[in-house]
Amino acid sequence: MPITAEMSALVAPVGEGDHALGPADARVTLVEYGDFECPSCGATYPVLREVRRAFGPNLRFVFRHFPLRDSHPHAEAAAEASEAAAAQGKFWEMHDRLFEHQAALDGRALARHARKAGLDVERFERELGAGAHAGRVARDVESGRTSGVRGTPSLFINGVRYSGPRDRASLVAALAAAAIASAGVA
Amino acid sequence: MAKKVTAPPEPKGPRRLGRHTVVRLTTYYLAAALVLLILTTLVPQQQVTPMQGGPTGMADAIDWLRWRLALLPAGAPRWADATVQMVAALLLVLPLAFTYVRTRTRVKYDHSLIQTVVMLPIVITAILVVVQDSLALAFSLAGIVAAVRFRNNLREAGDAVYIFGSIGIGFATGIHAIDVALSLSLVFVLLELTLWKLNFGTEFDDTFKRLCMPSGADLAEPQANVGDVPTPSDGNGRKGADVSLESDPRATVLRVYVLDAGGARPAIERVLERDAKHWAALGAEEGEGTAGGGVLEYRVRPRKSVGLDALRDNLLSEGAPHVIATDEAAPLQRL
Repeated sequence: MPITAEMSALVAPVGEGDHALGPADARVTLVEYGDFECPSCGATYPVLREVRRAFGPNLRFVFRHFPLRDSHPHAEAAAEASEAAAAQGKFWEMHDRLFEHQAALDGRALARHARKAGLDVERFERELGAGAHAGRVARDVESGRTSGVRGTPSLFINGVRYSGPRDRASLVAALAAAAIASAGVA
Repeated sequence: MAKKVTAPPEPKGPRRLGRHTVVRLTTYYLAAALVLLILTTLVPQQQVTPMQGGPTGMADAIDWLRWRLALLPAGAPRWADATVQMVAALLLVLPLAFTYVRTRTRVKYDHSLIQTVVMLPIVITAILVVVQDSLALAFSLAGIVAAVRFRNNLREAGDAVYIFGSIGIGFATGIHAIDVALSLSLVFVLLELTLWKLNFGTEFDDTFKRLCMPSGADLAEPQANVGDVPTPSDGNGRKGADVSLESDPRATVLRVYVLDAGGARPAIERVLERDAKHWAALGAEEGEGTAGGGVLEYRVRPRKSVGLDALRDNLLSEGAPHVIATDEAAPLQRL
């Protein structure tokens, strides 16, 4: 499917069902479509932590799944594992652990991450085995596709696709520009 | 827009060398001389000839004593000799390091230079013990000088003197001229301490007064050196004009993203006054198509009790709603 101009905008707005850090009324919202096994996402992870730190409560950060199943065999399971953690209220703990241990995402490693994150491992493994959260991951993937996401990480700032450099300074500048622009509009 | 920066001023008032400094150095040199005498006696460089019939004069008595005390009377193997020479180099260069630290301010102090000064003669000694009487000696000298020159960014010309001093001590000990090394070390330290004490040539005003000015004449007021650096909104620039931060390694350049520079600046500078030991406004950059929004850039040295992270948090919380983000960054290339 060719990428059109409309597809460079975030089609699915951020809602209650999203995993978000930061207040809903933050000045700027950053949405990441990511894959826990993707090396580029792993490299962007610490940058985004710094970016979040730079903005504090002025930034809302949203993570959506976009596992690249063809090239990353553990990405789908890792995404579902993070959803299983979310079911126990620990999505972000699992999100951080998965990005910090990208080389260890097989079944046993996921269970170990769950234990370290303080999850009920039995429930976690049961839900993971039953594919209880596959639908949730698939919804994220579908929303990404409709917004033109083809690879990871894909970033959207205030609903607009960001295709600039993914270093801290560039991202902070882009987010700040978006915040200033939105304040001017308001 | 170029910004002129001056080095931080030296503390005012007469300099005191301090009795402790003199006593320590004297004691050290006496102890070092004793250690070197013992070392060279126990591990002589060349074979010590046993005497027949006992010593007849003072020189004979010393030779006899050396022969009796020598652990290796047949002459030390090269490694033992080299070790003694390197220990000698270390013992004799340590006062240079001491003097360097004593005569530098915290800002001017260069820790990497200290390591260079201490290590260099030891390395040179080892090299020269190996390549003595060789054409390679000349090339090694060139190599040493080039390596130091290109690897060490000297902050001031005086630092180069320490490099040459340590090279000299290393070369002297490397060719077994410990007496020369001792002499060089002593002269160097004495001279450097004296020059520092007299503050000779360091301050332009003082030197000019001593050498050039007729008695009673006044120097012109020095030019302000803050260039076009913007001053804080209160206009007096008390801390805002603290350009000594330029050379402070603990200072950080903070980019503060704001919705409204006019509204944000007083709040930002209130936080900096409270949470920073020193700070200076560097510049501002307006965002495209915005009224008042953009980036304010500051060079900041946070107070130790606060720390950079807490200072940034305070900028965000107390600068709200005008401040939207803070980031550490390289200074603006153009203003």
